[in-house]
Amino acid sequence: MDDLMKDRIEQLVDYIMKKCLWQFHSRTWDRKDQNEGVLTKTMQLLCDEPVELETPADRCYWVDAVCLAEAYKSRYPWLSTMNKEEIKQLMHGLHERMDYLTITGSLNLELTDQHY
Amino acid sequence: MPYHEFECSKCIPERKQHAVIKGAGEDLTSALPAGYLNTIPGSISERGCAYCGAKHVIGTPMKDVIHLSHGPIGCTYDTWQTKRYISDNDNFQIKNTFATDMKEKHVIFGAEKLLKQAIIEGFKAFPNIKRMSIYQTCASALIGDDIDAIAQEVMEEMPEVDIFVCNSPGFGGPSQSGGHHKINIAWMNQKVGTIEPVITSPYVINYVGEYNIQGDQYVMMDFFKRMGIQVLSTFTGNGSYDDLRAMHRAHLNVLECARSAEYICNELRKRYGIPRLDIDAFGFSTLAEGLRKVGMFFGIEDRAEAIIAEETARWQPELDWYRERLRGKKVCLWPGGSKLWHWANVIHEEFGVDVVSVYSKFGHQGDFEKGISRCEEGALAIDDPNELEGLEAMDMLKPDIIFTGKRPGEVAKKVRVPYLNAHAYHNGPWKGWEGWVRFARDIYNAIYSPIHQLALLDISKDEIPTDKGFVTQRMLSDANLSEEITSSTVLRQYTGKYDCLADLSNKTYPSFETDLADAA
Repeated sequence: MDDLMKDRIEQLVDYIMKKCLWQFHSRTWDRKDQNEGVLTKTMQLLCDEPVELETPADRCYWVDAVCLAEAYKSRYPWLSTMNKEEIKQLMHGLHERMDYLTITGSLNLELTDQHY
Repeated sequence: MPYHEFECSKCIPERKQHAVIKGAGEDLTSALPAGYLNTIPGSISERGCAYCGAKHVIGTPMKDVIHLSHGPIGCTYDTWQTKRYISDNDNFQIKNTFATDMKEKHVIFGAEKLLKQAIIEGFKAFPNIKRMSIYQTCASALIGDDIDAIAQEVMEEMPEVDIFVCNSPGFGGPSQSGGHHKINIAWMNQKVGTIEPVITSPYVINYVGEYNIQGDQYVMMDFFKRMGIQVLSTFTGNGSYDDLRAMHRAHLNVLECARSAEYICNELRKRYGIPRLDIDAFGFSTLAEGLRKVGMFFGIEDRAEAIIAEETARWQPELDWYRERLRGKKVCLWPGGSKLWHWANVIHEEFGVDVVSVYSKFGHQGDFEKGISRCEEGALAIDDPNELEGLEAMDMLKPDIIFTGKRPGEVAKKVRVPYLNAHAYHNGPWKGWEGWVRFARDIYNAIYSPIHQLALLDISKDEIPTDKGFVTQRMLSDANLSEEITSSTVLRQYTGKYDCLADLSNKTYPSFETDLADAA
């Protein structure tokens, strides 16, 4: 991954960390679901792909994804210069980075507690 | 790990792991304090106990309930004079407080008879109240009184009443947070699903983790009503006992204080498939996004957008007036739990203040993840601070103001740092657009109060200047502002009413009568 892509991913991470709450549910499995649900739908919205809205949980991920996609488009003009393949690569990198910061690299000792 | 060791706590080396300073280039994988652990012996904690967390934070805001502590009468101390979770039934639940008044003899011989007598007496004294919550305390837990059995016995003898039992003695957790957990799960196990509600809208939510501090819930209810949303229950501020038994019928849980109430949302998600949507209702941009998301979930985002446009137009010039005067002021954000992350970023962006420290008395590491993420670099994060650490931090950081509880707040005042009550507020409500301006006004009044200048002079020894007049608040706040700002005809101070809630109770709302038919 080149430096430009890394820098852009950090900008996207910074927005999530400052503005969102969905990434900080209290257990590892929950955070995995949240990151997957919201970031996948955000990627689909940014790439004009259909978004699945079958279940109430899907709708919940979707509303956070809509807000995130709109914020990204308005704050980061460089996003409009990227093609869909590049956006997918960017969002894949963002997903990996978020998983690291909130799950695999997290220092939060409660994440693996069996109970809520 | 960028731990910060306080000079005053060097004799308690374990404390070092409870404070970090987020430096340049650091993230959550390198800067996170320990949290939600037992207080280290020798550290004089500011925490409450698990009984306090269950009863005084979560349970007692329920309005139509006799809240009975099964224990010594001192356990009922927190009531009218310390709590501000008001309710629309003349504040029954904080005007009246109940305890079985256990004495030494009950500890020796048992207090179950006393408990039964108190339950019946309570219902007879308030015949219009048919619901009761009983809270175990350290004393009744240690002697093993079977509160559930007594409650069941009374319910069989008095079929018109319903009783909830919360077994969360004071020693049952590292802090009040342990009590939050216990009462969430107990309510879920005992009461949710035991009543069927009348559904009046296709858009039905539970509003969870909202405690109606100085009327916050009324403000939020106004927005939800304007959107045609049925709020089935509020957990628990101004909440009704029977409404909360029907939480299982909501379509969405809108969660505010994830610290105190995520447990019940998670259980509702797993047991009933009701999704959880976390929002921030403090701040213009954050509340706007919260309402927008709830609107989008139901496909009625246009209703949310109408509210956002109207409220922003009304209140933005007033927020801007205060922001110009608060810009760059240093804040120690030292609340109990959730406000450290609800406020950390939005007060920086919308009030212009700089958060130089966050702390939490009972937060978990998850709360610090949120709070530290939302702070700028250099902020000092402290878990379960003691009084000396607070003093040392103020000496080091030189904050202009502290947002905290009244115990550490009074300590701050002694070293001439103004404080606002982050738990119970000063002139709330602080939620909603107007509420957020009221918060800004409280900060302005605290920082620029002329008393701080006057208090620096000691009339017993200092020379009192006689050639200078009294310096007003406005002279202090506008000293370094540009002419463009000070003479602006757009910006203005708060123009709302002293009691901004009075009109809400008489307000009429659009009926949205066709919503249900359309959904069918």
